Amino acid sequence: MSLEFVDESIGQNEKGTLWRLLKYLGPHKGRVALALLLLLGATVADVLQPILVKVFLDRYLIPRHFPETQLILLGAAYLLLVIMTAGLNVLQLLMFQTLALDIIQSLRVELFDKVQTLALEFFDQTPVGVLVSRITNDTQAILDMFMTVLSTFVQNIVIVIGVMGGMFALDPRLAFYCLFILPVMGLVMWVYQKVSSPVFRVSRQRLALLNAKLNESLQGMAIIQAMRQERRLRREFGDVNEAYRKVRYRNTQINGLMLRPLVDVIFMFSLIVVLGFYGTQSFFHAINIGILYAFVTYLSRFFEPFNNMMDRLNFFQQAMVSAERVFRILDNPSRRPEPEGADRPAITRGEVRFDDVSFSYDGETDVLKHLSFVAKPGQTVALVGHTGSGKSTTINLLMRFYPVERGRITIDGHDLKSFSEDEIRSKMGLVLQEPFLFVGDIASNVRLGNEELDDEAVQEAAQFVQADQFIDHLPDGYHAPIGERGATLSTGQRQLLSFARTVVRQPTILVLDEATASVDTETEDLIQDSLRKMRHGRTTIAIAHRLSTIQDADLILVLHHGEVVERGTHQELLAKRGLYHKMYLLQGGLKESAVGQ
Amino acid sequence: MRVFAELMWFFKAHRRQYISGVLFIIMGSTMSLIPPKVVGVVINHLTTHTMTVRFLLEALGLILATAVLSYGTGYLWRVRVFGGSIQLATELRDMLYSHFTKLSPEFYHHHRIGDLMAHATNDVQAIQETAGSGVLTLVDSITMGALVVAAMAITISWKLTLICLLPLPLMAYAVTRYGRMLHDRFMVAQEAFSDINDRVQEYVSGIRVVRAFGQEAWERRTFVELSRDVVQKNVAVAKIDALFDPTISVIVGVSYFLAVAVGAVFVVGGSMNLGNLTSFTLYLGQLIWPMLAFGFLFNTVERGSASWDRVKALLAIKPTVVNRPDALTTAPSGGIRFDIESFRYPESDRAVLADVHLHVPAGSTLGIVGRTGTGKTTLMRLLLREFDLTRGDISIGTTSIYDVELEALRSAIAYAPQDDFLFSMSIQGNIAFQNPDAPFSEVERMARLADVHEDIVRFQEGYETLVGERGVTLSGGQKQRVSIARALLQDAEILLLDDTLSAVDARTEATILNALKETRQGRTTLIATHRLSAVEHADQIIVLDDGRIAERGTHEELLRQEGRYAEMWSRQQLESLVEQGGAAL
Repeated sequence: MSLEFVDESIGQNEKGTLWRLLKYLGPHKGRVALALLLLLGATVADVLQPILVKVFLDRYLIPRHFPETQLILLGAAYLLLVIMTAGLNVLQLLMFQTLALDIIQSLRVELFDKVQTLALEFFDQTPVGVLVSRITNDTQAILDMFMTVLSTFVQNIVIVIGVMGGMFALDPRLAFYCLFILPVMGLVMWVYQKVSSPVFRVSRQRLALLNAKLNESLQGMAIIQAMRQERRLRREFGDVNEAYRKVRYRNTQINGLMLRPLVDVIFMFSLIVVLGFYGTQSFFHAINIGILYAFVTYLSRFFEPFNNMMDRLNFFQQAMVSAERVFRILDNPSRRPEPEGADRPAITRGEVRFDDVSFSYDGETDVLKHLSFVAKPGQTVALVGHTGSGKSTTINLLMRFYPVERGRITIDGHDLKSFSEDEIRSKMGLVLQEPFLFVGDIASNVRLGNEELDDEAVQEAAQFVQADQFIDHLPDGYHAPIGERGATLSTGQRQLLSFARTVVRQPTILVLDEATASVDTETEDLIQDSLRKMRHGRTTIAIAHRLSTIQDADLILVLHHGEVVERGTHQELLAKRGLYHKMYLLQGGLKESAVGQ
Repeated sequence: MRVFAELMWFFKAHRRQYISGVLFIIMGSTMSLIPPKVVGVVINHLTTHTMTVRFLLEALGLILATAVLSYGTGYLWRVRVFGGSIQLATELRDMLYSHFTKLSPEFYHHHRIGDLMAHATNDVQAIQETAGSGVLTLVDSITMGALVVAAMAITISWKLTLICLLPLPLMAYAVTRYGRMLHDRFMVAQEAFSDINDRVQEYVSGIRVVRAFGQEAWERRTFVELSRDVVQKNVAVAKIDALFDPTISVIVGVSYFLAVAVGAVFVVGGSMNLGNLTSFTLYLGQLIWPMLAFGFLFNTVERGSASWDRVKALLAIKPTVVNRPDALTTAPSGGIRFDIESFRYPESDRAVLADVHLHVPAGSTLGIVGRTGTGKTTLMRLLLREFDLTRGDISIGTTSIYDVELEALRSAIAYAPQDDFLFSMSIQGNIAFQNPDAPFSEVERMARLADVHEDIVRFQEGYETLVGERGVTLSGGQKQRVSIARALLQDAEILLLDDTLSAVDARTEATILNALKETRQGRTTLIATHRLSAVEHADQIIVLDDGRIAERGTHEELLRQEGRYAEMWSRQQLESLVEQGGAAL
């Protein structure tokens, strides 16, 4: 199945990843130490309980000696230990968990900060869902791992050591015999990890495939039904589903063979060792029953920690995969272009000059070849051409979304590279082909995070682009809520709103990617009218899909496969009867033949 | 517990597996009573100094045998019961999927894909847990609990048993209570998590806007805030979580205390011996799990039955468009006649189409134009029977489309819908979606007709190139053309193009329309479009306005009528006309 996607390189370097994750504990040394101390206290209090029972049995019950005060003290001490254990455990558990949460918070913010510095290429190459999942789901999986490592592994290892210590305090020789349990359990865990992790990995992949298949089928159901492919897709889904069942079943088998049933067997073996030891001893001298009691009690507690740890191994593995993915992003060398040199010039007049600019996204094929042009302050330069002709690339370079590597772009005579990020963003206003609206309200979509813009500025901008006409009709006006992607507004309204957010910043240079989506004629008129107003007095670099909208441009560049094939004004280009002329006729449709006939 | 009864169809179908699984659970529980007893007897022999080599070996042998047997039963019930629950989940997913394929578009209007996914994943998971751990805890906590209590009461001391059991119901209560609180707070935390997820999704999707307007600092502030909110809500979960185990350990500790203290009194009184006391405390340890499990059981079953109710409700939804009795199985053929009195979508009270009476002769081309929302797409969806007409009729040839089986009807129609959805498979797989066995030459021919062949061979892997997240991202125009090729491969008598050329440029549009004209001679084509140039050559054009046919005729006739169509045409042509005049052609 083509959908099966296995990134083999992930999960190969677990040790390095784990080590790197644990480094995040560094800044929290104090809290870690305190939490460990609490855990230690709780474990000691816990381990002491059977010893008190042993004292009671050996010193008082078996000799039938019952001094009231001592017994009351003993009982009180026991109950106190029970409560202490519980109290300390509550505190340490809470501490470890909040610690893990704090670490994840800082990891998330670190990741977000990193994403902010990545070049746009990274976003082009990474599907939205994948990146979102890195920032949220993967960090969540790492959170689980911190909780697991801290809460399960550290705790249970401390408990095991504590119980072991209690055993040595009672009877070093027998405790020494019982040491065999540790390597055996170690071996069981190691084998389990070896055997189950590939199965678990496959199961995760198959689940992902299953969900992808389901999701896609739901999205494309109309086509599936119109093309009568229900039966085939049911079969295909059935296969994927069955493959997932098989691997889950295999997982259950391994768990059944290696987890609790096996641990129970080892427990009973250790019971045999302890009973055998005392039984044999009893042939030579009298036995201390209290110690035997305490030992058996210890044994019965000794194995639960191992069960807990093994239950968690798979979480751990999942988290390691997530961590590795997150670290890959953190280590990604791609950087958004940053200002170079010491000078930070300002954009004042708005003269844009492209000087022999070539560009390639992949380093192989040039999508832009030797582009040169000048837009004098206040002029409009229009870029026309088919998809893939290099129009969007030109804008991407001008907006410094991508670095200029060959050739030079200057604004007011200064290299584009030398401007500060702020200068570019505040003086160059971009209008995107597809106006992207954020969840919020009308005003927040005009402001776009710039809190300095007051309501008046927002309203003025809306009036300027004539968006106020529809905004005033909304129930809450400028505070009318906008849902996901602005679905409540029409395409035309969204476009007007995107004009407003550009105009409100009073840019010196306007960069337009003309919308292609069809809107009704009334809105279309409004849009064209607003565009004219916006362009007035501003240097404008515009991508035009409809040639009719750029007839008054000072310069029109006709791009074809990354090269300028024609340049001039509308009239000049028409007179040339070249590519532009052809495009123009084609947009006119039948008219050519009608006129020709 | 009702959910177990409602899932009985499954347990019955797999009764061997479940009955043997339950028997193995009971066997395992019974066997686990042996070691504590053996320990007690050994201790008794040790205290009374009556230990013999033979007895010791027998005792140890008994534990060994128990170990081996319980390993076997432990494995077997797990494989049976958990294996069964996995099987149940698999069957439910299959049922849901196959149900989804049968439901009509109306259903998809009402349900979001995210929710449907949640039913097929989370709800199925919860049901699986009910049928797995649920069954286990139900059987185990009852049998194990009963057996252990019986062993304690009958073989040791019923009085001591009664006294020590007193604190334990508190445990079951605490577990249920905490479990519910945990669940509630967890849901709140999940909501916070989904908020941050939405936010990040939006941030990534709108990254160009974010960068172009320099809103990075603001985005960061929002993100940190949301992330902090997630942490706070998770701390609320952690607070309960941290209380869980310690609370249980206190209750168990008190119970142990009672066992040893009161047990000692009995030992002194002579009604018990030390061995029995040891066995007793070991048994007490074995009671912890059934009590815990009993607490968990309520939550598991509660969640499971809520999930089952949702899945059941989903499965109970009937498709709204179905084959009528005595429907024909042969594909209809001939001209199309629309006689639509009026049509409204089920959830709306506004008629989308009214008084649409129209004949499209076999072999002709119909152009449908009009603004967004005037019913162009609806007309096509009615023909495909995505929805059924309530007043009026549509027929192909001489047969009403309602007298034909859905499958037969749809085999006569090829459809390139407005939203150019492609599947994440190879381009070839997408074009050959309707007929995966189509020879490659056919696939290529259709790609050429749709003017997308050149684009495809430019990809490194050509027709094998994967589409979607794991492969290349096609441009809107490329997707539309692949979707046209996909429809063409069906080679059906009727072809529906629903604004499928909107994202391609004028030149490509002309190429495709010309190719269609040549290859589809004698067959019927319906083209809905915004761009009038796409329907210029149609034999008949209708202009829809608010669901009614405002104008009809050929391009020339409509121009002559000087109505809405002519107005639209001139609007689309106006500026170029003026300019062409001025440009001295």
